[in-house]
Amino acid sequence: MGGAGGLGHRVREVRPRLLRGALHSLLLAAVALFFLNFNLVGTASPSKRYSQDLVYAWFGDEAWLYPRPHAPAAQGEPAAAHVVVVMIDERALALRGARWPAPVQFHAQFLAELQVLRPRAILLDFLLIDPAPPADICDLLGVGARLRAEGTALYLAVTGPGDLATLQAPACRDARGSRIQVDRVFTPVSVQRQADDSDFVGRHYPFEQRDERQAPGEGIISAAVRMYCDATPAPQGCITRLIDTMPTNAGFELAWSPTGDPFNQRWAQGSCVETASPLRAILNKPALPRESRCPPVATLFARVLLDPAEDPTLSAERLLTLGDGAFLMVGGNFRGSADLFTTPLHTLLPGVYYHAVALQNLLAFDGRPKVRKEFRTPKIAFYCYDLLVLWLLAAIFLWRQHWLHGVRPLGLSPFEISPAARGWIAPFFARFPTPAWIIAATVVLLLMAAYRDVQLIAVAAVIVTVIIIELRVARGGEIRERLRGLLLYVAAMSLSLAVIVGAVWVGYRWLRLPPGDWLGYFSFAAFGFFLAHTAILEFGRRIDELYVARTAGGHST
Amino acid sequence: MKTWLCLLLLSTAACARGASADEPPAATPGQNACQISDNHILGPRMGERPLPLLSGDAAHGFRPACSVPWTILSPHNDPLPVVGCYQDNLLQVANDAACGHPTGRLWVSIRWVLTSGEKQGAQSTATTCQRLETGTYAASRDFPTKPCVPGNPPRADADSARPAAAVPAPVTPAASAATPAAPSGATPRPQR
Repeated sequence: MGGAGGLGHRVREVRPRLLRGALHSLLLAAVALFFLNFNLVGTASPSKRYSQDLVYAWFGDEAWLYPRPHAPAAQGEPAAAHVVVVMIDERALALRGARWPAPVQFHAQFLAELQVLRPRAILLDFLLIDPAPPADICDLLGVGARLRAEGTALYLAVTGPGDLATLQAPACRDARGSRIQVDRVFTPVSVQRQADDSDFVGRHYPFEQRDERQAPGEGIISAAVRMYCDATPAPQGCITRLIDTMPTNAGFELAWSPTGDPFNQRWAQGSCVETASPLRAILNKPALPRESRCPPVATLFARVLLDPAEDPTLSAERLLTLGDGAFLMVGGNFRGSADLFTTPLHTLLPGVYYHAVALQNLLAFDGRPKVRKEFRTPKIAFYCYDLLVLWLLAAIFLWRQHWLHGVRPLGLSPFEISPAARGWIAPFFARFPTPAWIIAATVVLLLMAAYRDVQLIAVAAVIVTVIIIELRVARGGEIRERLRGLLLYVAAMSLSLAVIVGAVWVGYRWLRLPPGDWLGYFSFAAFGFFLAHTAILEFGRRIDELYVARTAGGHST
Repeated sequence: MKTWLCLLLLSTAACARGASADEPPAATPGQNACQISDNHILGPRMGERPLPLLSGDAAHGFRPACSVPWTILSPHNDPLPVVGCYQDNLLQVANDAACGHPTGRLWVSIRWVLTSGEKQGAQSTATTCQRLETGTYAASRDFPTKPCVPGNPPRADADSARPAAAVPAPVTPAASAATPAAPSGATPRPQR
């Protein structure tokens, strides 16, 4: 009885302390959440986007992060759904006596050549809005109808619902004498692009092109979304699932890989295997790969398809393997056409890659791409997830502070210089006139600010110097205390990192959130950002004490 | 040190030369296809897949005509003579009815068919060359990789002092390129 009573007494004693600790850490987490999303003059967005780019630069070629489908490497390999960019340039047009802008007649010929490859679907990323001779339009529709009859879906880029009208040819008939209607041949798709406001990088892909007055699904579905959904057993269900609850201008996040598709090594001027080590970021070097010339989607140049002499090593078998069952995205790369976009990892690429990578993302994630919190419904639920993660990190932080106070009763941080070391350093500098050492320190800091290479060396030199001084002048007991404090810090940091990794993984894998929040979490956990905001806790504690005092007073009276 | 370096460089050069001599370059489909005389289409390159055929010409533009299997173009699997050529990548055959309606002579991309010119190029083991009276040889560009079999064997009464300008001009790739490869009626090959 007595034992049970003692335990109950202890629980009654501990419970208020636990509750208070939980509430304090919740308050701290809420402050952290606010500051993480405090987008004053747009400063919060670049940090999130950059941290997302870093994740893809470091791990983008890992299947656990981005299981993108490559083009089959050899004949006989099962032809999984894969994406191939077919690039038309000036040389390809010249091979058929045509010039930019690519005439309808060229597209008709070229579609006939693509028919041999038996692709699953073809996107023409060209706006065929200029008037063309009816005979040329009829040729295009005729080839398109043949492709449709063979089971190849055809998609045509449009800017609005009326664009297909220029391809109407009432006199155009098929072999059976039936009129060929353009909307039976081509599915119109939107090729509108989105870019982040902060840096104009194309990281997310719109679901559809619609205005505020239209309901979800009433706009023109984007090329990759339409192509993916049409390849599923229930296309309309797929489109509804993807865009039903999305606000206007919503898009999904594009996972990128720094590594190019192996097929492109045959023509790429640089290596298709790009390595971006996290060590580069730690060493203050550019962390993102620069100007990769090997795109992440297998690319077949139209001139190679039209003229084998352009790439004599591309065998017929390899060509068939590449095209068999592929989603062919036919786009242009013409000097002066300005159809380029900035990607997170490959600088400028022709616009067709935007749609190709979007389709690769949909295939890689089985039609469940990553979508930002601001486009999700209910939005507050996803921010609650953020709050939960920050609550855990705040609890670890407060736990560390609590234990640190127990280990070092004087309240000194393990990173602070001890009084003994200060006592040694201050007289050393005092030997020089005050203006001299202040100017010397200013010059050193100025150099560190100006020269990035000097920063790491200087910081390392300062740390080593302070450690040597501490070891020489501090008492043995104090050094042991400091070591315990450091171990505690490392343990708390490891735990925080585990929480961050777990949170990002759960968010990415199950909540379909892009991996853009880790840098924010990390800055709170590692760089003592919490410290700056613990003042709010002191204020909260003071309010709590007042409340306790008031209620205690009320009870007593 | 210098001697070793020279030996190393010499052996590397010899190895590189030996390697290129052992590996004759494979014939490239489409390379100079319009410069080959008496060229024939031997069959499809992509198995049974239908061949996309074009109608029209260089002056008025090409347009897709139809896609037919090889057996429609050549029911007995006979080689088809190439009667026209465009930009080394389109070959014209003397068939204007393969699509089931009159189209004019049809064109097919060299990407999809195998030609005799290409096959000959792959099988050829000797370089076309001419022995000059100076004792040297004029040969096509594959001379270093294939043995030279002169088209004009040295005469017994040849006067070694005879000036080179007096002998018949050697056949060079440039000279053969100027010769029209296609029979009469073929579309002239436009300049690139």
